Amino acid sequence: MLKQTLTGARSLLTGMKVTFKNAFKKPVTSQYPRERIEMSQAYRNVIVLVEKEDVGSHDCIDCGMCERVCPSFCIKVEGERPEGMKRKRATRFEVDFALCSECGLCLDVCPTDTLGYSREFDQAGYGRNDFLYDLLIPYRDREETVRDTLRAAEAEAAAAKKAAVAKKAAAKKAAEEKDAAGDEAPGGDGDDS
Amino acid sequence: MAETMELVPDATDPKTYYLNMGPQHPSTHGVLRIRLHLEGERILGADPIIGYGHRAHEKMAENRDYLQFLPNSSRVDYLSGMIYNLAYCQAIEHAIELDVPERAEVIRIICGELNRISSHLLWLGTFVLDLGGFTPFLYGFDDREKILDILDSITGSRLTYCYGRFGGVTMDVDDEFLRRTSDFCDYFKRRLGEFDELVTDNVIYQQRTKDVGVISSDLIQDYALSGPVLRAAGVAHDVRKTEPYGGYDRFDFDVPVGQRGGDCFDRHTVRMEEMRQSLRIIDQALACLPDGPIMAAKVPKRIRPPAGDHYFAVESARGHFGMFITSDGTDIPVRHKLRTPSFVNVSTMPVVLPGTMLADTVAILGSIDIVVPEIDR
Ligand code: SF4
Ligand code: SF4
Repeated sequence: MLKQTLTGARSLLTGMKVTFKNAFKKPVTSQYPRERIEMSQAYRNVIVLVEKEDVGSHDCIDCGMCERVCPSFCIKVEGERPEGMKRKRATRFEVDFALCSECGLCLDVCPTDTLGYSREFDQAGYGRNDFLYDLLIPYRDREETVRDTLRAAEAEAAAAKKAAVAKKAAAKKAAEEKDAAGDEAPGGDGDDS
Repeated sequence: MAETMELVPDATDPKTYYLNMGPQHPSTHGVLRIRLHLEGERILGADPIIGYGHRAHEKMAENRDYLQFLPNSSRVDYLSGMIYNLAYCQAIEHAIELDVPERAEVIRIICGELNRISSHLLWLGTFVLDLGGFTPFLYGFDDREKILDILDSITGSRLTYCYGRFGGVTMDVDDEFLRRTSDFCDYFKRRLGEFDELVTDNVIYQQRTKDVGVISSDLIQDYALSGPVLRAAGVAHDVRKTEPYGGYDRFDFDVPVGQRGGDCFDRHTVRMEEMRQSLRIIDQALACLPDGPIMAAKVPKRIRPPAGDHYFAVESARGHFGMFITSDGTDIPVRHKLRTPSFVNVSTMPVVLPGTMLADTVAILGSIDIVVPEIDR
C-alpha cells in the first residue's frame, strides 16, 4: 500500500516536472488576426488563371484538358477562335471551388501552364453557390487589346515564318544552282545547263 | 443483418440492457457505433456497426480513370494520407512496371515516415485523452503541427495530400525542407523522452492499460490483424521488412514487438518505439538523399495496367494496407478493392470486448487506433 502510494507520488511528480518545464516555454500558438504565420510556397487553394508575361493576360487556349482530367468535374471552359487568329481564347472559365479537391491534376496537364493556385485562405460563404468562381474576371476588360496584340503578333510571326520559308527556299535554290555550277566546273562537260 | 440492427433490449432478462456507444460518442473517434450488451458495467456482447462514414471510394474508382482516383487515395485515411497517397502511386507503378527515380523514392520515404509519426502522435494524444489525461494531447498536437507545417511546405496541404504522381512526386524538396526536417528529428528525439516520462511511466496510465484488452496471436491469425496490434502480440511482421517496397530495404531499422502478450500497454510501447524507428529512417534518408530528377522520364500518357489482377501492399500507420486492382487493360479499373487495416482490427471487437468493463472499452477501442473513414471507405 505504502509502496503503491510512493510510486504514484513519484509518477505524479515526474509528470508535474514535465508540465512545469513546458509552462515556461514560449507559447506555440499565434494570435491569429493580429499575428499571421508565413504561408507555405506550395499553398493550394482554388485555381486561378495566371498572367503570362508574353501574352499580357492569361493564356488559356480552351483545350479542355483540365476540364477532362478534373476528378471532381468542377471546371467549365468554353472558348472561341477570334477573327483572324489561329489561337483560341477562353470566353468562360468557371470553377466550383466547393467541389475542388485541390489535387493539382489540372495544373499538371495544362499545356500553356496558365493555371496556378490562389493565395486566398479565408473564403467563406452562406451556401454552395458562393464558391462558383469566374476566373476570367480580372482579364475581361483587357481582352480586346490582348486579342489585338496577339493577332498582330501572330500575323508578324506568320510573316516572319513566310519570310523565313522564302529565304530558306531562296537559299536552297541558290545552293542548288551553286551545286549545279560546281558540278559543271570540275567536270567541264555540262552540256545541258 | 436484421439481427444486428435490432435494438430492442432482451426483455427476458431484466438485469441486462443494451447501450449504443456512438455514433456521436467522443471516444469512438468519428462515427462508429458500438452496440453494447451490458450487465451493470460488465460487457456481455459488443457489435460494431459501421457504415456511417461510407463514401464509396471503391465504387468511385470504377467510374474514373487511374489518375482521377489519386485525390481519393489520401482521403481513405486522413490521418496518414501521405502513406495512402504514395501507396496508390506505388501500386500503379508496380502494375505498369514504371521505375521511380531514386531521389523521388527517398523523398517519398521521408514524407511517409513523417506522416507515420504525425499519425502516431495523434493516436497518442487522443488515446490518453480518452483515458482522462489532457496534457499529452496538447503536446502531441503541438509536435504534430510541426510535421504538418513541414509537409505543407512541399505539398501545399495539411491532411489530405495529393503529393505523389505516377512516376515520382509533384514538388522537389529544398534545403529549407531538409533543414526543418532534421531540426524536427533532433527535437523530437528529446520530446519522446518527455512523452515517456509523462505517459509511459505514469502509474494511472499503466493501470488503465496493462493486461487490458489482450489481443493474442491466436486471435490475430484468425482475423489477419496487422500493424502495431499484431506487433504488440509479439509477432515481428512489418510489410516494410518482410516485403520491402519503395526502397525501404536500403534502410536500417528495427521492428519493435510487445513483451506482455498484446495488451493495450504493449500497443502503446510498440507505437512509441515505431516513432523512434521512423526517426532513424528519416535520419538515414536525409543523409543519403541523392540528386537527380523527381519524376520518371517516361510516364505513359494513358495509364493502362495489363489485364489481370494486381496487388500491392504497404505498411501504413495502422497496418497492412493493400490495394487489389483488377484491370481489363483499359483506362478504368474493373474493381479496386482496398484492404484497410482498421476494418480488420475493429472486427475483433465482438471477441475482445465481452468480459471487460465499460471503461475499458474506451481504452481498448482507443488502443487499436481506428480511423472510421478508413473502416467505411
Ligand atoms: S485541383 Fe483537382 S479538383 Fe481542383 S479543379 Fe483542378 S483538377 Fe479539379
Ligand atoms: S488545360 Fe490550360 S489551356 Fe487547356 S483549357 Fe485548361 S487552362 Fe485552358
